[in-house]
Amino acid sequence: MGQYDSAAEIEAAALTWVARLDRARDPDELHLELAGWLANDPRRKGAFLRAQAIWVKIDRAALAESHANLPARQTRRWAMAGGGAGLLAASSVGAWFALVGRPVNTAQGEVRHIPLPDGSSLDLNTDSQIEVGMGRKHRGVQLHRGEAWFQVEKNPQRPFVVEAGRARIMAVGTAFSVRRFDLAVEVLVTEGVVLAWLLGREAQAVRLEAGDKGRLDPDGAHRLVSAAAEIDRRLAWRVGKIDLADETLEDAVSEFNRYNRRKLRIKGSAVASRRLYGVFRIDDPEGFATSVHYALGIPVEPQDDQIVIG
Amino acid sequence: MSPWFGGMVPQGAETEMSPERGRRVAWVATSILPFEPGVRAWLARSGFPTDQADDFIQEAYCKLSALASVEHIKRPDAYFFQTVRSLVADSLRHARVIRIESVTEIDLLPVYSDEPSPEQALSARQELAQVLGLIAALPGRCREVLALRKIDGMSQKDIATRLGITETMVENDVVKGMRIISTALKSGNGSENASRRLRTNGPVRLRRRD
Repeated sequence: MGQYDSAAEIEAAALTWVARLDRARDPDELHLELAGWLANDPRRKGAFLRAQAIWVKIDRAALAESHANLPARQTRRWAMAGGGAGLLAASSVGAWFALVGRPVNTAQGEVRHIPLPDGSSLDLNTDSQIEVGMGRKHRGVQLHRGEAWFQVEKNPQRPFVVEAGRARIMAVGTAFSVRRFDLAVEVLVTEGVVLAWLLGREAQAVRLEAGDKGRLDPDGAHRLVSAAAEIDRRLAWRVGKIDLADETLEDAVSEFNRYNRRKLRIKGSAVASRRLYGVFRIDDPEGFATSVHYALGIPVEPQDDQIVIG
Repeated sequence: MSPWFGGMVPQGAETEMSPERGRRVAWVATSILPFEPGVRAWLARSGFPTDQADDFIQEAYCKLSALASVEHIKRPDAYFFQTVRSLVADSLRHARVIRIESVTEIDLLPVYSDEPSPEQALSARQELAQVLGLIAALPGRCREVLALRKIDGMSQKDIATRLGITETMVENDVVKGMRIISTALKSGNGSENASRRLRTNGPVRLRRRD
């Protein structure tokens, strides 16, 4: 009780806490210590909130400029050169701050087009999360969850690497999609060439060309040849469609359920293996169910929170 | 790790970086911090020395931290001011560590203008320029460390390796950079709109209104 720190001391300590937590590999370990510090004086709680707000303010302010998509060269100059040049380039840094080091999410059913600072862009599919990291020698995106299609601006000096768990997919200037499953990662190449490998097994990297499908699982990286037409169909989500050509009803249903809160459910295994053709709106499970009813003669029962097929 | 939270921890409203806490921090960053210079100017006009003003401000942030929700707050600037004002009123009432001789009644303090401000709409863009300008003006290695952390998204550990310095030195640079920015944000360095939000009804007159 006896201690009465000055506001300036408390502020310095609060800022140090934010930096310490940022540095910590396991911030959980600092929890008790932080809670103990905060408990001693209400001003500490206030100073800590303010310190956190300053820490995020840079990113937050930059959101206002997140569409200012300026060349990477200028931002590098800001980062590494002297103060004068820094001010000059400051206005172009927004896009970087908005994206880099901050996870970007999509909700269920949401598809987002995200321009990257180097001129590349990506389409982030439903229920997905990425984090962008840009360095001098490489460009990188971590796919934490879900699926994304990348259009990479050519730059052989700075390869573009997607990380999905232990899987690595590298491109220098091309277009491809990466989707994470529980145990595997699927790569579809729409243009150019990519190299795919598992972390620690770089020697077994596979080369995938336009029209190829790759799969990375605990066994390694595999190249599965597939028709370009299939790839276009599989990426129809970019235009809000699900394109089916001989898929089973079971697969089609699980695809719709990725995007919609109102779930489709198959009753009885007999109908699950029936096969389907057609292009459907991604956000219209009812329309799909109706088509199934007419095309396959399977009963469909819309309920409040789900649609039962079969 | 996300710069959002500087890495956070479970349990406890303040230490946990739950989505709610994240939203609160973001709200403070966008809706409160820009108005701090104005509120500080009011405290100065009211005769409070800087260290005492700092106490009020920190206590006010503590109140914001403890609020169950901020959704009902339509005018964060006015709310922040009222929070500070009631803390001032409390302290005058209890006359604890008050060091001002001139003002003994909260009613005698300058008033806060509640008129909507056309400048408010500009603030996001101005803030961006302000914060980026502040970072760009940081001393050499300090700026580089913050740039690598924020622009390149490198961890403090990787920054230490890249620059050939210890992790502690990196952490210290982060603190130093934040401290400079924190100080600048108190005086509204470069953002006039925030302080213009607060208007007095003329010079303070130490006259009781009976």
